[in-house]
Amino acid sequence: MSAEAYLRPKRGLASPLTGVIPEEVRQTWFYKFLLFPVGQMIIFIVGASAVLTLLAYLVALLVPEPRPGIVLADQISRQLPGMIISGITIGFVYSMVALGYTLVYGVLKFINFAHSEIFMVGAVTGYEIMLRIQEAGLLQQMSPFMLVPTLVIGSGLLAGLLAVLIERVAYRPLRGAPRLVPLITAIGLSFVLQDVVRAFFSLTRNAFNLTYPLNNLEWLRAPVRLTFGEANVNVRVTSILIVVSAVIMLVALNYFVNGTKWGRAIRATSQDQTMAGLLGINVNLMISLTFFLGGSLGGASGALYGLNIGTVTPYVGFIPGLKAFTAAVLGGIGNLTGALLGGLTLGIIESFLNGILVYFPALGTRYTDIFTFSILILILIFRPSGLLGEKVDEKV
Amino acid sequence: MSIFESRGATRRFGGLVAVDSVSFAVEQGEIFGLIGPNGAGKTTMFNLITALTPPTSGQLLFQGQNIVGKQPHQIAAMGIARTFQNIRLFGNLSALENVKVAQHTHTHANVFAGILGTPGAREEARRVEAKARELLRLVGLGESADEKAKNFSYGDQRRLEIARALALEPKLLLLDEPGAGMNPNEKGILSDLIRQIRDQFNLTIILIEHHVPLVMGLCDRIAVLNFGQLIALGKPAEVQSDPAVIDAYLGD
Amino acid sequence: MAAASIPQNPVQDFLKKPINVTLAMIAYVVVTTVAMVLISNSRQAALYPLFNMIGFTAFILSPILIISIPAPNLWRGLLLVAFVFFVVPVIGLVNTAYLELAIQISLFAGMALGLNIVVGFAGLLDLGYVAFFASGAYLWGMFTSEANTVFRQNGWTVDPANFYAFLVLGIIVAAIIGILLGSPVIRLKGDYLAIVTLGFGELIRILARNLDQPVNLTNGSQGLHSIGRPPLPDFLQSLTDGVADFFQIPLAAPGPIARQLMFYFLAIGLIGLIIVVARSLEESPIGRAWTAIREDEVAARAMGVSLVRMKLLAFATGASFGGAVGVLYAAKQTFIDPTSFGLLQSIGILVMVIVGGMGNIKGVLLGAMIITLVDQHILNNLSALIRAAVPTLPSSLDPTKYQPFIFGLLLVLMMIFRPAGLLPAARRRLELLAEREEKIEEEPKTKKVK
Repeated sequence: MSAEAYLRPKRGLASPLTGVIPEEVRQTWFYKFLLFPVGQMIIFIVGASAVLTLLAYLVALLVPEPRPGIVLADQISRQLPGMIISGITIGFVYSMVALGYTLVYGVLKFINFAHSEIFMVGAVTGYEIMLRIQEAGLLQQMSPFMLVPTLVIGSGLLAGLLAVLIERVAYRPLRGAPRLVPLITAIGLSFVLQDVVRAFFSLTRNAFNLTYPLNNLEWLRAPVRLTFGEANVNVRVTSILIVVSAVIMLVALNYFVNGTKWGRAIRATSQDQTMAGLLGINVNLMISLTFFLGGSLGGASGALYGLNIGTVTPYVGFIPGLKAFTAAVLGGIGNLTGALLGGLTLGIIESFLNGILVYFPALGTRYTDIFTFSILILILIFRPSGLLGEKVDEKV
Repeated sequence: MSIFESRGATRRFGGLVAVDSVSFAVEQGEIFGLIGPNGAGKTTMFNLITALTPPTSGQLLFQGQNIVGKQPHQIAAMGIARTFQNIRLFGNLSALENVKVAQHTHTHANVFAGILGTPGAREEARRVEAKARELLRLVGLGESADEKAKNFSYGDQRRLEIARALALEPKLLLLDEPGAGMNPNEKGILSDLIRQIRDQFNLTIILIEHHVPLVMGLCDRIAVLNFGQLIALGKPAEVQSDPAVIDAYLGD
Repeated sequence: MAAASIPQNPVQDFLKKPINVTLAMIAYVVVTTVAMVLISNSRQAALYPLFNMIGFTAFILSPILIISIPAPNLWRGLLLVAFVFFVVPVIGLVNTAYLELAIQISLFAGMALGLNIVVGFAGLLDLGYVAFFASGAYLWGMFTSEANTVFRQNGWTVDPANFYAFLVLGIIVAAIIGILLGSPVIRLKGDYLAIVTLGFGELIRILARNLDQPVNLTNGSQGLHSIGRPPLPDFLQSLTDGVADFFQIPLAAPGPIARQLMFYFLAIGLIGLIIVVARSLEESPIGRAWTAIREDEVAARAMGVSLVRMKLLAFATGASFGGAVGVLYAAKQTFIDPTSFGLLQSIGILVMVIVGGMGNIKGVLLGAMIITLVDQHILNNLSALIRAAVPTLPSSLDPTKYQPFIFGLLLVLMMIFRPAGLLPAARRRLELLAEREEKIEEEPKTKKVK
């Protein structure tokens, strides 16, 4: 995979548009690190939403009345903005976790199975920080613009450092071992992390079902009302906070990877470790840095996820982790843009599935996970390189 | 009818054309050399023939039958065996077991016969063992049959690869740089071995080799590839004096 | 020439003679057996959990020691038969908890051997192996449970006397499920395959939990209760009574104990069968093809090995072992629910294979023994000991709650320090042996060029 493809695939959805933009503009900092990444997100969101909306109406055409008295098309129309917004919310969380898988896959070519537990550590750290703030009596005074960054940065930092530690202790001794060895190690680490977190909270908080103290926050409960034509949609403040935080972090990541010498060194390491080492790049440091980036994104998204669902446990990482992995594969593992596209697409797919499956008595939303998982299997079988990845032939 | 024929075989990797509509035919009993500078597409050609890489277009005929689209193991069963440029033995298996693996397609014992240890299966196991030992003796490794393949010297590993390929009972044998890493003396012995197995097993051999004296002395005909294209085909002496070939090796 | 350079060691000299080793082994079995009886009769002692923990572990490891001794096959075989068919059942009569443990070990050993075919022989990491176990268990459960499932409502239930037919059916059904799940994904790269199989394991669990509507097949999260058990043969009951009489063992409940013995013998028979099948396959051309695939897929294909066929065969064989064990498990437990078939169970079986030694049947047996003991015996006793010593210990630190932690830690430590397991596979052992001989000859091994 070429250096370009690592970040900007030739077949990206945004590429037809970039042709329209004059070269001078494309070279500006504003375009490269702000307009382009944000534009890409918007295009992905609009594209995925449009495709799924069409598919949803197609289902409604095939099964007009899944239950007597319920016209599916009407239900879809009523719920459409809500489904899209909740899809985007969870989609950004998946994207950020997927980036963790993809960053590590990019440099080490292995699936960091323990990443889902890094996410979990972020989620429980967010809880702990929020509880400490509450215990200090500061929660009520804090504005959302103070609270959310505190949670995100605190969780991200801790999770990032943990990821670096894990790489140092458990993965580095295994470099060069057969592919499955680090994978098995990572699975083992997941269980270790779950139990350590459970023990910690059982001892300090006497419980491991950890509920974020959200109830007393007035600003959080008041929904923001958006108007789409005739339909009014209530958007949760947490959704807005999650999306805004995620966009800021993703833009920062894009700048870091594409705009700084550190990012260039990481990209070089992902291309060819030996060569990067010969060119004076400290390969081990770059791998640690990659784990830190992936880990802190995962940890921060864990805290955001906690804010979104309210209650977290030491086992909260598994399913989102598996879905984020699906997102990474959907986009093309090893490809950062792909992780973004995959995460947003998967989030929206899931939200639509949740919205529609409710009306099918024989299925119900309890099969949503099976559907998302089937997506993973189908992609792996028919297009293992994902939507944006390049096909790589095995070297004989 | 030629035993093997390539009709416009082409393989693209992205923008790179590794093998560019190459056509040639190999006659029964020939030792056919495939030479060319590094990156000329020789090994890719072997990968196309053995279906490890499917061709982008073109036909590959073995005994008159198009083999494009078949699976590698089917091609092996039809009678095309190969060795690898970067030796690919089963390192943790003994030399004997390496050879036995290749006899897989010629054994009939199924799961249940294997589990139950039927007389037929036991008889077959004896036959496989005897055949494997014989092949190892033939390439000069009879003494070290029970040693692990990865502990062998480079030259011995190359010979073991030949023994393993022969165990498939092939009609067409593809040797990918069999003499790489051998000294001139060993290469001489290798030439004799290649001729001997050709005669003994009634084989046709396609050979990739860099060492010019070996190729010139051994091959009946030679095809030269450069940047994926066939630039010369003929008797060793003809090819050697072909300006296009000289240019490919010495030019820019 | 070799003997000269080995330092003289009386213990080694003693162990060289098969008769000495065999006698030592008999002594070991006798001592641990007597210890087991003594321990069983001192349940009031303060350190009972400690004795119990160490004693039973030492006792039940005997079969592994027996098959490892350098004695003629006949002697080892006789010792093994005596231990498995006489010593363990008698100790089981003295203390039924031990019989239960022996059954559990056998069942898990059966599954670990099945997973070993897939992971150890063919090198395919399957993280959802419990799916096959679940399919066997639910097969028997659905047809015999008294839960109000669609089977009971429509009178589709079968007489528990058909158990043996269902054992065979379980093998077939699991093999078919193995092929169905395997065929779409068998071409995936190793790490992708691992994640997809993990998903399949979860899929089966989700199905088991949710298939109580629209028609109630599995009774959902409530699980299937009162599952049928194969009828107890009369001779086993009278044999149990006779043996108990002879040794003057007071039996609390003769019927249930005889039934436990029946399950013990069934489990032993099943793993005996599984071991024979696994060994024959390992030494057959099929086993060689699996090793070839594990070593180098490309070369294996070029040598005529059909990857898809061989990998599916590994999947199906491994699955069929799991299915058979599942049928037996459901009949023994008489209750199954989706929680018995989660990721943790799959990982637990994987830990057995990895700790013991991937690809080595004896190693896998040892792994299954150790892990089952840790899980169901050692942790409980450790917990009792700690609670006796520190009564104020918070319940969240109870060792029995740290099973996942221990599994995880074992995986990490094994991968870093001993990836080939406690007993590496024979092909690896050959290599180690060869290295030692080299040292003895004091001549570096260089291949002569011919």
